[in-house]
Amino acid sequence: MKLIEALELIRHPAADTAPEVRISLICGFTPLHLATFLAAAVRVLQPERRVAVRTGLFGDLGGNIARVDPSSVGCAVVVIEWGDLDPRLAIRTLGGWKPAAMADIVGSATESGARLEKALKELARRVPTILCMPTLPLPPLFPTGPDQAGLFEMKLHRTVASLAESLSECPDLRIANPQLLNEKSPHDERYDVKSDVVTGFPYSLPHASAMGELIAGLVHNRQPKKGLITDLDDTLWAGIVGEDGVDGISWSLDRGHMHGLYQQFVASLAGAGVLVGVASKNDPAVVKRAFDRSDLLLSRDDIFPFEVQWSRKSESVERILKTWNVGADSVVFVDDSPMEVAEVNAAFPRMECIVFPKNDYPGVWNLLRRLRDVFGKPFLTEEDFIRLHSLRAAGAWQGAVDSNGRSSDGFLKASEACVVFEPVQPDGDARAFELMNKTNQFNLNGKRFSEAEWRSIVREPAAVLLSVSYKDKYGPLGRISVILGRIIGRKFQVNAWVMSCRAFSRRIEHQCVKYLFETLEVDEIEFDYESTPRNGPLQEFFTELLEGPPPVPPIILSRQQFAARVPALFHRVEGTIHV
Amino acid sequence: MSEQEHRLVRCFASVFPWLAPEEIRSISAESAESWDSLSAVTLAAVVQEEFGLDIGPEVLPNLDSFEAFLRYLRQLNVDGE
Repeated sequence: MKLIEALELIRHPAADTAPEVRISLICGFTPLHLATFLAAAVRVLQPERRVAVRTGLFGDLGGNIARVDPSSVGCAVVVIEWGDLDPRLAIRTLGGWKPAAMADIVGSATESGARLEKALKELARRVPTILCMPTLPLPPLFPTGPDQAGLFEMKLHRTVASLAESLSECPDLRIANPQLLNEKSPHDERYDVKSDVVTGFPYSLPHASAMGELIAGLVHNRQPKKGLITDLDDTLWAGIVGEDGVDGISWSLDRGHMHGLYQQFVASLAGAGVLVGVASKNDPAVVKRAFDRSDLLLSRDDIFPFEVQWSRKSESVERILKTWNVGADSVVFVDDSPMEVAEVNAAFPRMECIVFPKNDYPGVWNLLRRLRDVFGKPFLTEEDFIRLHSLRAAGAWQGAVDSNGRSSDGFLKASEACVVFEPVQPDGDARAFELMNKTNQFNLNGKRFSEAEWRSIVREPAAVLLSVSYKDKYGPLGRISVILGRIIGRKFQVNAWVMSCRAFSRRIEHQCVKYLFETLEVDEIEFDYESTPRNGPLQEFFTELLEGPPPVPPIILSRQQFAARVPALFHRVEGTIHV
Repeated sequence: MSEQEHRLVRCFASVFPWLAPEEIRSISAESAESWDSLSAVTLAAVVQEEFGLDIGPEVLPNLDSFEAFLRYLRQLNVDGE
């Protein structure tokens, strides 16, 4: 993006009523065009929001970090350059570059690094923080020639690397990836010496633009996709298993290595909680034998479900979506046949459908990078590791559910279910935040929260914020629901309520309402309900509970109404809520 | 209006978006309160990028009006990209 384009973009703000992304941009140099490029890049990614980028005092990185007011910004962006570690590592001060000063410069940079580490950890506790480690080249102050990396230079790099390593462990701090920045902004084109000396802004405009884009992506923190549906022949392996035979398909260095790489990658996605399904036109018995091969890098246990038959691919994909109970826009489909990809894409226009680039080495490399981009997440939660297991266990439930999605009392009773209510933890409760922002179907009003809004709510003394976990004899589902509300006299007002689709048909939603009445000792519950295009299951719950037409806001449920209409509940309930 | 002048107006409009084109053509540091050091630096950066120039710090103080920028561009005989 050019500077004039960035300026024009931010001069056309969103409506005054649009929610605002408030960013505190903290750096030791004058932020000048970086603030412009950042605001513009955020506008591109979040056009429905207004953007406000606030900057601090020139030359005072530590002070600017300390002065961030968490109540007035949604996130902090901290950009460190070498001069912040020791002014002699920048060129605006003339503190001396004699060889005898090198040890002192390194020592001072190490001390600055330790101070920054402490300050940034504290900042990340107060407000979601994005960090850029030094991006500019070190000035030519070392006695070694530019082709040799000397001792002091390596010590400085170690200081920065260990600072980044330590900070990368903070759950609320995300570090901009230097590898991606290297691709977007060539290292030798980043520094603008004249601008640094004349204005105090050290970045070339292309580098400032690249930085803005990278940071804006981290500010956006979009929700990852949930599932991958893959073909088998000439995709997961080289060859056609029905023709070449089980021993004829391959993924070795001699033949089909990139398919092996794809297998390895898909196994990695499955291990990180991404749902993986197979849609293949094949003989199921042959595919079963293929998955008996011990050298496959992707286990059959990583995949659920297998849709192996001769019908249209879109029919298989539809069944997989139904099994997973997720929307097409949360899924990626990969197949080597352009025709199959086009057929699935026509049936599911919101699904990302990708042709597997067989015999195209860089093409597969780029595919893996694309998949990591759409499935990558800042952290893994406990639920990521049990998602597949709970989906398989859902098979037992599906057999016991009638056409209206109801389970029989006998089945529910025999399932030995346990529901656990816990308060959402004030810090680092990533799962509750994730659930609230990605659940569509059982969602009270479709409300989404920024990280800053969520933090503010979690810490609000008047807020009641519960997370709900579930397990039964078929296995744990983990934390599957979050409820946010406030007690007003003898009434509990529910502002937000979501429940994972994996938890449907178990009457957990009824148990939630029962628990609220009993624990909070209120006479009625008011739900801030709003109809959304995708919250049909939530609407059905209220329609059934209120025994009337589809609900209209506000929904007010009295204790007596609920007691008269709640079906039999068989869960064992554990709770640690104190109000 | 020449293509060069038209593009210079766009540069000024990106920095002073509240001004009409005719106001832009008569703007100067003396007449416009909004022409401060920040807008001067931003304007110089935009013009440099748009016209592929390198404006030296010794020249910058003299570029204190739309007319001065236009004269400077004409002296250099630049059309940019």
